[in-house]
Amino acid sequence: MEHSLDPYASLLIHIVSGVGFALTTWVGSLLLGRVGRATGVKNVPYECGMLPEPGPQPRFSVKFYLVAMLFILFDIEIVFLYPWSVVYREYLQQYGVEILGVLATFTAILFAGYLYAIRKGALDWSK
Amino acid sequence: MNTLYLEIAVVVLGIILLMVESYSASANKARLAWIGAIGLFGVLLLSFIPQHAPAPGSPAAAFITSDLLSVFFVRLILAATIVFLLTVPSFFPALRISLPAEREGGGLGEFAILPIFVCAGLMWMVSAVDFIMIFVSLELATITLYILATYLRQNTASLESGTKFLILGALSTGFIVYGISWLFGTTGTTNLLALPSAIAALPEAAVTPLLFGIGMILVALSFKISAFPFQFWVPDVYQGAPTPVTSYLSVASKAAGFVVLIRLLGALWAIPAVSHQIHAVITLLAALTLIFGNFAAIPQTNMKRLLGYSSVAHAGYLLMAVASLSSKMAVPAIGFYFAGYLAMTMLSFVVLQVVSEATGGDEISRFNGLGRRSPLLAGAMLLAAASLAGIPFTAGFIGKLLVFEVALKQGHYGLVALGCVTVAAGFYYYFKVIRAMYWQQPAEETSIAVPGALRFLIAVLGAAIIAFGVYPAPILAALR
Repeated sequence: MEHSLDPYASLLIHIVSGVGFALTTWVGSLLLGRVGRATGVKNVPYECGMLPEPGPQPRFSVKFYLVAMLFILFDIEIVFLYPWSVVYREYLQQYGVEILGVLATFTAILFAGYLYAIRKGALDWSK
Repeated sequence: MNTLYLEIAVVVLGIILLMVESYSASANKARLAWIGAIGLFGVLLLSFIPQHAPAPGSPAAAFITSDLLSVFFVRLILAATIVFLLTVPSFFPALRISLPAEREGGGLGEFAILPIFVCAGLMWMVSAVDFIMIFVSLELATITLYILATYLRQNTASLESGTKFLILGALSTGFIVYGISWLFGTTGTTNLLALPSAIAALPEAAVTPLLFGIGMILVALSFKISAFPFQFWVPDVYQGAPTPVTSYLSVASKAAGFVVLIRLLGALWAIPAVSHQIHAVITLLAALTLIFGNFAAIPQTNMKRLLGYSSVAHAGYLLMAVASLSSKMAVPAIGFYFAGYLAMTMLSFVVLQVVSEATGGDEISRFNGLGRRSPLLAGAMLLAAASLAGIPFTAGFIGKLLVFEVALKQGHYGLVALGCVTVAAGFYYYFKVIRAMYWQQPAEETSIAVPGALRFLIAVLGAAIIAFGVYPAPILAALR
């Protein structure tokens, strides 16, 4: 059982050093950084001496949300095609035709979604 | 033939309808619902061709099965979806009010198409024998249900319902994935058929992490079947969601959750290392769900919330049968209970849909004097409430009788005694509706018109309640 945990040791070191670094810098800045007086001007983000304009959280079009969602749907799901050809090589010998059929079905379903998105104007920027 | 082809047919139907919806110029979206219902009815007929499980060793056999349980519940889910689709066109006026549409009829068609995808997801779920497959199909169904629950976008109640459903659904998804990973970590398999032998080979020390994983999965399934203490989303989500969606949620989605529970427990029931603890947990869940569902329903004044708590209460009766799973009659009892539950719950939601459309609200007081305003609706509600309460000669009575009998034979005397008390409580809150319909003065005397499709549904579902209640043999035979 001890040996089976070995691969996770590096993960543990990673977590410890990550949390440790964050804690050290945070505590360090708390201890060392409180020199002088804090004023409102000092807390403003530095923008070459000018007042930053506009505010730090600009409003953006909600269209981006739709694009982001379509991106996830089409781009990330296409990533699934890759492991099918690389990981299931032994299966490919035996069930090659079936796997091709599954792939084609998957792409066809995605394509139907694409057609739907086009028709509903989801990709139309002027709207 | 195995059920896989039925599910593929359903998905193809959904995709075709989606393409028709977006590319046809017709603004008549009701037609989509009719075509969908007819298509699903065709699939339902196809399911009566003898179904065989996929050949052992084939890729499909690792993921799905076509046993009696899956075929029965595939039919049940198809039937529930058909009922849903038939209620959709008469729900369009309510949808139009709360749906901002750029084009005439925009957004209406999808309300008739999304249920078809939910249906496919739930059908896969009841046929699945692998946790990966269960998880993927669960997600197909629930993500689509999130959309449906939030469908009345400009109605804050519907938004609240969808948001709560999304957050708690995501939480339960987290639980099930975490549980599956622990199960896989200890046993090295996600397949339910391979699970018993994998557990038998485990060392003593691995049993605790295994139980932890199973516990997590049980928590997630308790969300799906709305068992106490994971029922808190039910009243709010049921109240805010569009009425046909609420009806579907309380029947089809719960049925699929129960089938997964039966399959998981069926794999674990015979293993002495874990069965003792699981048995105790399920018995406790059943008792708490019975108590909570029935007693929380008593003070309700909103019909949808009442039916929500009633659905929690029915989950309690069903869990009673699940706790007696070592009996051969347990699964037929659950199947029969669900067949009756489908008819009576969906019938009461159909009536509620018409009444709230005509009176503008879901409160029980809207049913005041319904007996004078529409004898048909009041009669249908009377039948549904009688069956939900468990009056003899209705499906609800036989369902409860079977469940109690199974539990008694397995020695769950405490549960049965508790069940008798909660049935009495059930009489009180279901009869509140009947009292409102027949003994209260109506706010106005105008009669309520019932659309043709809903009149057809009321006739079919009402006939089913009485038919199952008088002659239960065919349904029980389908599962034995």
